Amino acid sequence: MARGDAEFVEFARASSARLTHAAFLMTGNHHHAEDAAQTALVRTYASWSRIRNGDPYGYARSVLVNHLVDTWRRPIREYPSDDLPERRGGDMAEEVATRRWLVTALGTLTARERAVVVLRHYFDLPEAQVARELDVSVGTVKSTSSRALEKLRTAGLSAPRPQETCR
Amino acid sequence: MTEMDELRRAMRATERADGLDIADIMRRGRRLRRRRRIGAGVAAAVATIAVAVGVDAVATRPGPPDLPAGEPVATASTGTPPPTPTAAPAPTESPLRPLGTVVDSGIRYGADARVFFMVPVDVPELPRVTIGLVAGRRAPDGHLTSDFLVNDVSGSDRRAGFHEIGYDQQRVPTDTSIPTFGYFVGPAARIVGTVDGRQVEAKLARWSEDPEVVIFWFDPETLTPGTPLDGIIARDPQGHRL
Repeated sequence: MARGDAEFVEFARASSARLTHAAFLMTGNHHHAEDAAQTALVRTYASWSRIRNGDPYGYARSVLVNHLVDTWRRPIREYPSDDLPERRGGDMAEEVATRRWLVTALGTLTARERAVVVLRHYFDLPEAQVARELDVSVGTVKSTSSRALEKLRTAGLSAPRPQETCR
Repeated sequence: MTEMDELRRAMRATERADGLDIADIMRRGRRLRRRRRIGAGVAAAVATIAVAVGVDAVATRPGPPDLPAGEPVATASTGTPPPTPTAAPAPTESPLRPLGTVVDSGIRYGADARVFFMVPVDVPELPRVTIGLVAGRRAPDGHLTSDFLVNDVSGSDRRAGFHEIGYDQQRVPTDTSIPTFGYFVGPAARIVGTVDGRQVEAKLARWSEDPEVVIFWFDPETLTPGTPLDGIIARDPQGHRL
């Protein structure tokens, strides 16, 4: 395997779960999320020689977000509640409850609001970078983020708390 | 804890450790890379009207060198196997030539002109897809550079209606940003896109080889390259929607 390929494999292994989860947060659907993450990584690999020494994760994230935004722009779209994933250990009830809350909470937001929320609060990007990646102004990012937060407040949603362990 | 804090915690707490099929990703990435090279290979000093090159010849001729870093390149689909060059790169030979006239958009990048032209494509499982549309640049000496190739990924490239639309993939504007472009098959006299509730009118040119094929693009001044359209319609000379 060429050195560049080995580097990409390492990069893909390290980033695929996070990219897939970000796509899930933006779509609410695991199948769509995996497709989107795969598409982002395919395009990243296709451009690997010119981006590997820069910010490949930023490139993959940007491709992912743009791909999803393009998908939302199509006439028919939906935000389905997804079938729950298989559990792989840990507290199943708690994660299921949290995931359900998350899908419901994000489902109250528009596509752009979800994208802003995910980029700002999952990827922890500064507002200016969110604006660049979504091709909107910083003011739009601020107002969209504020509107999203207000919607969550209005909906009165409250995330399930991790359960305390009693001894 | 605020709502956003709760959301942030929940987003992290539900991360899964799933892995994707990296071998499949790399296979598809290689196909996409080859396809980009084919699209980029339309670099040749040509007259504005060129002779169509046979598909078989295209598929077996050498490919050009990869695009320079930072050049905006992408295709409308990653799922379609591209024509595959079988020989080593030979930069002096042009593997593809435009089909029909090269359309000058009137958009300039210094001395270079933004142009659009059809090229032959070969998609093994899609025998009715034989052409793709390239957004390229033409230098003053006639040298053509391909920036972006789009082609259908299903059905026929001559079915009535809109076909694949090409968007600049760079969210940050560059000196050579690619206008949103594509083609429509039918008697379109106007093509109008909608974005954020605003209507933007495309510029049109009929393809010399088939007047039913209408090549269109949106001026970057009216539609920022890379901005996805919310909708697009075509109207005939009487104003009826097609």
